[in-house]
Amino acid sequence: TQQSGAELDCASVAVGAPVVPMGSAVTASCTIRRERCRGLEDGQPLISWLLDSEPMAGRQRRGVGGTEVSELRVPQLNRPQAKLWCCVEWNGTKQRVGVAEIRAGYPPGKPSNLSCLLDLGDYGLTCRWQQGADGHLPTNIMLKCATSRSPAVTGCTPQNGHSQCTVPRRLLQLYRPMELWVTATNALGTAESERLRIDPMDVAKLDPPTLQSIRSMPPQTDCVTLTWTMTPRNAHMELRCELRYRAPEDPSWGVLTGIAGHAGTVQHCKFLFGTLYHFQMRCRRDLARGYWSEWSVSRNYTTHEKAP
Amino acid sequence: APLAELSGDHDFQLFLHKNLEFTRKIRGDVAALQRAVCDTFQLCTEEELQLVQPDPHLVQAPLDQCHKRGFQAEVCFTQIRAGLHAYHDSLGAVLRLLPNHTTLVETLQLDAANLSSNIQQQMEDLGLDTVTLPAEQRSPPPTFSGPFQQQVGGFFILANFQRFLETAYRALRHLTR
Repeated sequence: TQQSGAELDCASVAVGAPVVPMGSAVTASCTIRRERCRGLEDGQPLISWLLDSEPMAGRQRRGVGGTEVSELRVPQLNRPQAKLWCCVEWNGTKQRVGVAEIRAGYPPGKPSNLSCLLDLGDYGLTCRWQQGADGHLPTNIMLKCATSRSPAVTGCTPQNGHSQCTVPRRLLQLYRPMELWVTATNALGTAESERLRIDPMDVAKLDPPTLQSIRSMPPQTDCVTLTWTMTPRNAHMELRCELRYRAPEDPSWGVLTGIAGHAGTVQHCKFLFGTLYHFQMRCRRDLARGYWSEWSVSRNYTTHEKAP
Repeated sequence: APLAELSGDHDFQLFLHKNLEFTRKIRGDVAALQRAVCDTFQLCTEEELQLVQPDPHLVQAPLDQCHKRGFQAEVCFTQIRAGLHAYHDSLGAVLRLLPNHTTLVETLQLDAANLSSNIQQQMEDLGLDTVTLPAEQRSPPPTFSGPFQQQVGGFFILANFQRFLETAYRALRHLTR
């Protein structure tokens, strides 16, 4: 039982449980200390209740130390939040002398669709998820993470009700699997998402490559050689890239896959002569089927005319 | 050594490739700090600093078991871990030297600690004996008699760490298939 209002006040309201499952019963008691209620003359005070603005009748009895006690049972609380007022009849009016906040809701729904992405700028791991069903109660959401060997559980807390947050680099273990999961906790219980077991590096989002130069090489053939580079912060990675090319009138892109290694050159043939092509490239880490980078900025090149 | 039989093992090879990439990343970050020392203090090459080279034992990080002759993988791994632990601490001197690069130096310390624990876990997975290097038992970074000695000390800590990483990289690569 939780007391609300100090023992020296005119009235104190205690509820069985401030939070109950939706539709459950709520019990409460209101204790009146007549001598503490300014202007309440002798005689037996008549105690009544208001559930928000809905009158309710309790069972009144004499309490210890000359107090009057009213006990109330609300059979079904069907609204997420309500105020339970304790009132005393006085001079033909209903005086509000005490109140308790009561809530009804559900245990939190299970968060789902957890996914994460590592920013190669600050090596923060940003994770997103889908919130579970609303329990209509104040709910504490946390993203938790742990390495497979250490019992320590750390993580991050989403701000302003967002369904995402970022685990800072200092809490991460790179190049080794970690476990991540979301917990949602309210007064009626806790729900956990599925556990995501990933090496943060495997969900790194690479910067797009830069197409440096495009030439017809060897000359007078239908072959083109492109040179490309990566940003310095991706330079230490073994990459798997793909090149796409397209003439304005082509219905779709041609794609050259499996370009491996670091930055460098790539050659491809069977281009039409005297034709303008758009080229783009994207990459991802060879070690993991992680996220592709965005496509590079497009570069145009017109192949040379066919020799007579 | 047991590692010889396991070097065909997929998980071990994945561990090697991942931590080769990790070592390349760390070497890149050390190179960035070396450039910062060069740009800031005009200390760019070892050749010019032979007479003021600090005590060779600035950082205790022997890798004798990682060289091709007498390559002892298990001992080499232990030496790499001990060296990473030592350089983690000595980087504190670089932290003081390059206040504008605090984030990079701290990232480097984190990476060194991560690489060491990755190796430790892999050794444990392989059933090898591992020495637990108590995280809290850190030795203070080296101190120097004056600003110039501190700059030279920082220069050699980074140069030696780059060399250390190069040897460690070659040792890991030696085990890849």
